[in-house]
Amino acid sequence: MPNTPEKPLILVIDDEEALRDGCRQVLEKCGYEVITAEQGIEGIKLARERMPDMVFVDLKMPHMSGMEIIEIMSRDLPDIVLVMITGFASIVSAVEAIQKGAYDYLPKPFNPDQLRALTKRGLDHRNLKIETKRLREEKDRMEKNFITFVSHEMRSPLVVIRQYIEALNEIAGKSFDKDVKEIIERCRKRVQSLEEMVEHWLDISRIENGTLAQQKVSLSLASIISRSVEEMTPLCRKKGISLETNISKKLPQITGDAESLVRVFTNIIGNATKYTPEGGKITITVKNDEYYTTASIADTGMGIPLDKLPLIFEPFFRCRGKDEKIIGSGLGLTFCKKIMESHNGGIEVSSKEGKGTTFVLTFPVSDNAAKGNTGHTSKSI
Amino acid sequence: MTIKKKILLIDDDKDFLFATKLILEKGGYEVFMAEDGKTGVEVWKSIAPDLAIIDMMMETWGEGFSVLNKIRATDTGKETPLFMLSAVDLQGPYNSFEPPPEFPKVNKVLHKPIKADDLLRMIAQELSGK
Repeated sequence: MPNTPEKPLILVIDDEEALRDGCRQVLEKCGYEVITAEQGIEGIKLARERMPDMVFVDLKMPHMSGMEIIEIMSRDLPDIVLVMITGFASIVSAVEAIQKGAYDYLPKPFNPDQLRALTKRGLDHRNLKIETKRLREEKDRMEKNFITFVSHEMRSPLVVIRQYIEALNEIAGKSFDKDVKEIIERCRKRVQSLEEMVEHWLDISRIENGTLAQQKVSLSLASIISRSVEEMTPLCRKKGISLETNISKKLPQITGDAESLVRVFTNIIGNATKYTPEGGKITITVKNDEYYTTASIADTGMGIPLDKLPLIFEPFFRCRGKDEKIIGSGLGLTFCKKIMESHNGGIEVSSKEGKGTTFVLTFPVSDNAAKGNTGHTSKSI
Repeated sequence: MTIKKKILLIDDDKDFLFATKLILEKGGYEVFMAEDGKTGVEVWKSIAPDLAIIDMMMETWGEGFSVLNKIRATDTGKETPLFMLSAVDLQGPYNSFEPPPEFPKVNKVLHKPIKADDLLRMIAQELSGK
């Protein structure tokens, strides 16, 4: 535990008695508590027991060298500020000590002012380090709590409103005339999309802080695509858009989380349906080479203007075209990008206005699968 | 006169209770409500409902589970259909509640919001299957 509320505790490890005493006198006068050790093992033991704020270690000592002490302490007791006392102002060993975790070095001979100044600076550094750590932990905790807060406090009312709409339709739906029904349906849709937005945003926050549950297993991309196509076919049919797949027969396995990957595909296909006119086509093509499997999803829609293309993976960005009816959370593609990144994959987009848009997803072939595949190919040869 | 079947709703959200009650009453059921687990178990013991719907995420994490356990431990609660409500959150989008094998029997897991048609259909199925 830090000794800050009381006197700062300083440990001096040096085999020269005169230096230990000298340091003690100077530092005690400044109001610090000082403990000393004659050699390394004793010093490390003392440090573990008393947890000093700062340790001065002499480089040249019998038995265990200062460098070894620095190495052990910076690994085991990372909160302690370590300073190397170097006998003959050797820059090389000073640099080495700092690389091993020392905060600074103090060349002999030094005067009391130098010692005082370095001690003060070292203790300030330590306080800052501790404060930073505390703030970082606080921030992480707040982020986690915030997600819980949002999921509870923001989703619950939306869920309840939709439940009320269900109840309203159930108890009085038959007596509503067309306009009333339409108003209710529009309300329901808007609430639902707000709920989805909260949901998407939560998903993204979860990916960012690593709490999104993903089960990465070896799987076939073809099965992911066929699940996604199955899910999206009714929507495409309703909109008069054809959905075709063109999948190479021998695809190696990839490593991924089936649920999130299906969502990536349904998201992109869903997007394509929003921007593709009736009679259009969405084609999913999968190819592979030795290292990557690539899936492209191409539509024959209105396309995305060149200047907006780099922005489409940004949260809340929407290509508002002439068609104001197009709504969405504005987070779908951000989600896709994060999911692809969490799979060590990539997502890219190309588009021509008036011709269509193509998304290309790249998956690294998983190691085992690659080996298995090679074996398979050689057999067929 | 046919006797209405009794359904117990346990959820800490008053509005969710009310909305669901309206749907169930329209479906011809007599509805009892409890806003916390303790009351829920008491009401269960005093009225012996034909079915109960229990929210998984009440006030404290896991309160829904302990309610389920307590109800299953009563004489009338051994075979009565019990539905759990989940709002698919806290654990990530895909970890909706899957009861472990040794868990007391849950007849259905429902996700909020529940479509009125689905809810009534599932309850009817469960109650007629008895």
